[in-house]
Amino acid sequence: MGKAAYMKLKGSFHFRQRLLLATLSTKAILIEDIRSDETSPGLRSHEVSLLRLIEKISDDCSVEINETVWIDFSDNFGLLVRVGTKLRYKPGVLVGGKYLVHDCGLSRSIGYFLEPLILLGLFGKKALSITLKGITNDSKDPSVDTFRTTTLHMLKRFGVSLEGLELKIVNRGAPPLGGGEIILGVPIVPTGLTATHWVDEGMVKSIRGVTFSTRVSPQIGSRMIYAARGIFNRFIPDVHIFTDHRSGPSGGRSPGYGVSLVAETTTGCLISTDIAISHPKPEDMDTMEDSYEKPEMLPPEDVGVQVASILLGEIEQGGVVDSTHQGLVFLLCALCPPDVSKVRVGKLTPYGIETLRNIRDFLDVKFVIKPDPTTNTVILKCVGCGMKNLSRKVA
Amino acid sequence: MAMDQEQSHKSHRSHKAGASAKKKNKKGNSEEDGKNKNPKAFAFNSAVKAKRLQSRAAEKEQRRLHVPTIDRSTGEQPPFVVVVQGPPKVGKSLLIKCLVKHYTKHNLSEVRGPITVVSGKSRRVQFIECPNDINGMIDAAKIADLALMLVDGSYGFEMETFEFLNVLQNHGFPKVMGVLTHIDKFKDVKKLRKTKQRLKHRFWTEIRDGAKLFYLSGLIHGKYPKRETHNLARFISVMKTQQLSWRSSHPYILVDRFEDVTPPERVHANMKCDRNITLYGYLRGSNMKRGTKVHITGVGDFALTGVASLADPCPLPSSGKKKGLRDKEKLFYAPMSGLGELLYDKDAVYVNINDHLVQFSKVDEETGSSGKGKPNDVGVTLVKTLQQTKYSIDEKLEQSFINLFSRKKPPASDNGHAKGNVPDGQHHDGHSGGHVSILEEDANHSGDEVSEDDEAGKNNLTGDSDSDGFDEGNDYATDDDLEDDEQMNPFSHDLNEEVELHNGRLRRKVTSSSFGNNDHLQDSGDDLQEFDDDSDNDDVHDDKLHSSSESSEGDDDLNSGDEADHSSKWKESLLARAMSRKNGNLMQLVYGPSLPVLSTTSRDADDSSENDEEFFMPKGERTKNLGDNLSGDNLNAEDSSKFTNTHLKDWSDEDLIKSVRDRFVTGDWSKAAQRGEGEGMGDDGTVFGDFEDLETGEVFKDIPGDNNNGGSKNIIKGNDPEMEERRLKKLALRAKFDAQANGSDLSDEEDHNKKKFHQNQAGEAGGYFDKLKTEIELRKQMNISELADLDDATRIEVEGFKIGTYMRLEIHDVPFEMVEHFDPCHPIIVGGVGLGEDNVGYMQVRFKRHRWHRKILKTRDPIIISVGWRRYQTVPVYTIEDRNGRYRMLKYTPEHMFCLAMFWGPLVPPQTGVLALQTLNNQAGFRIAATGTVQEFNHETKIMKKIKLVGHPLKIFKKTALIKDMFTSDLEIAKFEGAAIRTVSGIRGQVKKAAKAELGDKPKQRWESGKEGVARCTFEDRILMSDIVFLRAWTHVEVPQFYNPVTTSLQPRDQTWKGMKTIAELRRKNNLPIPHNRDSDYKAIERRPRKFNPLVIPARLQAALPFESKPKNKPPRKRPLLENRRAVVMEPHERKVHALVQNLREIKSEKTRKLKLKEQEKRKAYEAEKLKDEQLSKKRQREERRERYRLQDKKRRKS
Repeated sequence: MGKAAYMKLKGSFHFRQRLLLATLSTKAILIEDIRSDETSPGLRSHEVSLLRLIEKISDDCSVEINETVWIDFSDNFGLLVRVGTKLRYKPGVLVGGKYLVHDCGLSRSIGYFLEPLILLGLFGKKALSITLKGITNDSKDPSVDTFRTTTLHMLKRFGVSLEGLELKIVNRGAPPLGGGEIILGVPIVPTGLTATHWVDEGMVKSIRGVTFSTRVSPQIGSRMIYAARGIFNRFIPDVHIFTDHRSGPSGGRSPGYGVSLVAETTTGCLISTDIAISHPKPEDMDTMEDSYEKPEMLPPEDVGVQVASILLGEIEQGGVVDSTHQGLVFLLCALCPPDVSKVRVGKLTPYGIETLRNIRDFLDVKFVIKPDPTTNTVILKCVGCGMKNLSRKVA
Repeated sequence: MAMDQEQSHKSHRSHKAGASAKKKNKKGNSEEDGKNKNPKAFAFNSAVKAKRLQSRAAEKEQRRLHVPTIDRSTGEQPPFVVVVQGPPKVGKSLLIKCLVKHYTKHNLSEVRGPITVVSGKSRRVQFIECPNDINGMIDAAKIADLALMLVDGSYGFEMETFEFLNVLQNHGFPKVMGVLTHIDKFKDVKKLRKTKQRLKHRFWTEIRDGAKLFYLSGLIHGKYPKRETHNLARFISVMKTQQLSWRSSHPYILVDRFEDVTPPERVHANMKCDRNITLYGYLRGSNMKRGTKVHITGVGDFALTGVASLADPCPLPSSGKKKGLRDKEKLFYAPMSGLGELLYDKDAVYVNINDHLVQFSKVDEETGSSGKGKPNDVGVTLVKTLQQTKYSIDEKLEQSFINLFSRKKPPASDNGHAKGNVPDGQHHDGHSGGHVSILEEDANHSGDEVSEDDEAGKNNLTGDSDSDGFDEGNDYATDDDLEDDEQMNPFSHDLNEEVELHNGRLRRKVTSSSFGNNDHLQDSGDDLQEFDDDSDNDDVHDDKLHSSSESSEGDDDLNSGDEADHSSKWKESLLARAMSRKNGNLMQLVYGPSLPVLSTTSRDADDSSENDEEFFMPKGERTKNLGDNLSGDNLNAEDSSKFTNTHLKDWSDEDLIKSVRDRFVTGDWSKAAQRGEGEGMGDDGTVFGDFEDLETGEVFKDIPGDNNNGGSKNIIKGNDPEMEERRLKKLALRAKFDAQANGSDLSDEEDHNKKKFHQNQAGEAGGYFDKLKTEIELRKQMNISELADLDDATRIEVEGFKIGTYMRLEIHDVPFEMVEHFDPCHPIIVGGVGLGEDNVGYMQVRFKRHRWHRKILKTRDPIIISVGWRRYQTVPVYTIEDRNGRYRMLKYTPEHMFCLAMFWGPLVPPQTGVLALQTLNNQAGFRIAATGTVQEFNHETKIMKKIKLVGHPLKIFKKTALIKDMFTSDLEIAKFEGAAIRTVSGIRGQVKKAAKAELGDKPKQRWESGKEGVARCTFEDRILMSDIVFLRAWTHVEVPQFYNPVTTSLQPRDQTWKGMKTIAELRRKNNLPIPHNRDSDYKAIERRPRKFNPLVIPARLQAALPFESKPKNKPPRKRPLLENRRAVVMEPHERKVHALVQNLREIKSEKTRKLKLKEQEKRKAYEAEKLKDEQLSKKRQREERRERYRLQDKKRRKS
């Protein structure tokens, strides 16, 4: 017991979930071979940032990263760079706290950090209130709008009161320069979550959404809405998409625009999708082509059509959550008390499958996965691991 | 006819005299008596009072309620643990013996270890005798469902009883019943009654009013009276278990069988090598998963190497409609006491026959020829020696083989002789390859055991009668033996013994599957390699299943081929079949054999650069694999939850639109409903259609009329959550009703509430409590129904082993002391360690010294903490929380108050009970030093203590002074810059900076000569050189990171465990005095009057001063003035006047003196008169009073 047994893992694969689950299950992990075979080995800056974030909200966790020296020829100088391909992480006690600030960096958007953060916040000693700075909307991660409208509401199903659960978008920031800022508040769960029985997806009764546009013409928003409505009109009249145009300092430092849509069903399920368009990041640009001029951004009409199509695709798939949130739902189910949780999802995504595997490895929870051939959906059942909020102080 | 009619039976004649008649009368009358005599006393005459009574009743009702907790146990309950506790020589063993005799009609010679008894149709009881040391008591208290506390009535309560009660209270309070023994020692009935009363009330104050105290009056033939034992058994059988929060959230096992399964050659090589042990017992508390870590009390934490469920060794009778138990069903099981008729193991069933029932049958010539009459029979002696062998049966059987049926040629002996030429290289290869990391703990292995168990069960059933099945069993056994024999060459002589024995009918072994493989878990590593062999192996297996004649051939195959891996393979195929049959293959796809972490190839999918610098490409990127990678081989893939579907459909297409039309409310609702129905078939149908209630073993069939889906005209049919809810409720109610009808073991309270629940269902909506109850019941039913359709293997994977299964745990690398000092009288508890509970940290405990403990506890004196399953020694720091949230260190625990204790140790969840001991010594007084509950845990502590830095002025400037002795270095001063200081006289000040010698100056004074730690401070006034300067501050206190598990199981039980010593003990041992600070003594303060020197103003200054500032107060004269010193000589006239005045004064004073005397006399006379009067009046009054009383008395008498 004195010497912690490290759980050995390999690769940067599912870094977030591994950290999250290691923290929740208080298992020490040792990750090896983090991109050791790539041209730019080691931990990426967003991963390091995530580690810092976890250090910030927890107490006495220890992170050790080894130093791998490699020579970076990307700028023709041959710079000596030290990065870590090996990570040793020993979780501490989650404490949470108020008025925390974290700069998420520019390599990944805030959405990348929000997903683990919300779960960690629930099992903390004190309620969490943190300001995150960085990119609010990008194409890789779910946007903060989606998070606000959909993800936070999912917790309700697991017995988390929505009181104190909030996300405020102070500034928006699009890649590559970011400049966004949000404030996230997560309450703690007094004892634990409650198991859910969530299989009824219902029928879509309304579609809501919000467009954002920063440092571009304010009309872009309405153009996207117009295009999206054009598609939805064939299905449902109850479509309201709001525009959120930001200019000045609240609009961040880069131009960008995008939409986040949510379909609400009769049983209160939320199916969301989002899309964000901006200039690519410099490193991506390098790989794309050598021409230095900025490529054209997708016209807003196409964006509108695309996002509507994606949403319809999600709706077609069925399930109580969209494909983006599968992983989170599985995690929440696994963290429930030892009762049976049951959820229905559409097609299992690779991310979801990996989540299931990680849950099995860390929490020793296995799901019963049954396809429902009549609706082409999948029903998952599990007995929760009986996670309790242990760090909470009892009076 | 007439005779018939008139024939009258003798009517019952009630007793007219004697104790019973009296009793009856008394009982019957007492109630009515009161009501008849004073009817008013029983009617309410005040509305206020009535209301108050009503509210009190309501409050009592509410106070009785507890937050309902979900009981997640389904199916057969584990035996009810009855701990029999008491001081030595109080009759604990005798009580257990009597109870066992009562239940099973067997005489126990000795009580060692838990004894499981089937006590009723749906109930088993497990008795343990609580050992007489505090460690055993603590362990026993942690698992007791009922504590029978034996008290020597002739002696009274002893410390043990109260200690045990306190232990119970802190580790969750189970049911407690007192039993008073030795009351036949009282000859005086009255004294007996008095004592009983006294003890009962003392007992009540400790537990609650009305707690049951049972009296066992004396012994009859060295046993407790049958009637009383019977009554006690009745009391035990109606006791209900309570849900205790710690126990219901942790799996635990009370070990009732313990085997050392270390390979003997290892022991031979090194007696002190770490051992492999197996532990057996019923699983309690909560479901147990395979990956659970366990804590063995008194030993330490271990990972489980093997977990398997076994057939119940002491099963409940099959439920049938009959009263009571048949004799056959009155099983009991006590392997540690060496008793119990049937012993089910994973691989064998042992039938133990009592000595007097032993019949050596004449099956074989060697043993049969010599009958059972002769005591010195070879067979008998052999059997006896076998019974007394050092190695357990299990172990021996593992090494050898008994053939029961002589008609077949025993393959064991064949193989045993041929073992020399079995090539064992392969075997070793297979085992050496297995390296198991945490992650690699794969499904294959876990599946193995389960399927194996199934097989075992099957064999148990069929083995006796069916020859085919039996042959199969034999085959496996031979394999086992082969393997084991290879390992156990030095023990080959056992085999011979066995050969001689195998015809006796003393023990029958029905072997079914391998043992060795599971023991050593190593084959999990082989599994991947063996996949290709699987199919043909399967064939072999099938062959054997169907044709018994080919068995020898099969054996040969196995021997030559892959005998080492044989068993795991056939299991694997079974598992695979089971998997494929069940869940399509989605589960296999997700949890399937290709583990992402195991694969070593790393590919990069997201990087799509296509430049021509392939020469400088790292190897990872060359092997990059584009495309949908579901199996997740990609070690470094992008971590994004967003699923980007690359091909977008054109949603203007009519067909597409049609396909999702009905997903919207604008679409066809009936179609949606149909879809819902389909869902109903998909989930609801399977889930709620028909399910088996595990508790009652009843299968509920789906009744179409009952089901809401059946009512087809509803618009939103299956989807309506309300309806579903209602249906579930109905189900819950039904299950409850069934449970009630079957007399299943719902707790008393539950029964009570159930009634209420029904009422509420009938009437209006229930209160909050009932709502909670219903919710919990719903949840429970849902859990049962959702998991009902899974097969056993999947079920164990999903929810773990169920409560009540008989488990076999294998643990490797246990210190040899545990085996060496194993004592069956001490309970061994294997407790599951929850998530994060094996981590170590600081714990904050709300802590109170026990009021019966003699001493107060001192900070940093080691104490032994019992919390959760663990016992460990740690070094606490006691603190108290100040108003401002600061944790202030306390040197000692407060007298009658809670404080906080912070100590380092393995973490437990908040609100767990904690018990502290200072000594484990049996001779001590009340050993429980303190009790408390965990409040929170942390990885750091913020305990502060007061610190007072004392300094002296070195040099004083105007209001600035240089202070020495306060700090030791300039660095320290830098830390305290700006800190407030104060002199004794109350002058406040501030630390400025470290005093520095000015540049260029030579160090003139001592303080400038490079000495560090002199601080420059300013004050609000000039201080004196004689002042002492204080700096009051807070300093951080470290809690020592020390904890020391109390390993009482690793030493002889009669020794007291020795841990870290307290400071007092150390001083006593080393003969050191208690350090004494003279300055801290309280002494009388003597203050000498302060002498001030006169103010001297220099003459020159004085001259310069203005007049008003010049000193004018002259010093006092030494000699009196001349006026006072001179003599007075009077003139003659003056003298006359003076004399006259004197005379007149004389006269006046004389006059007044006389007047005073007269006055006094007068007063005296008056006083005398007054006294006389008073006496007279008093006398008269007395007379009057007396007369009055007399009259009154007379009047009263008359009336």
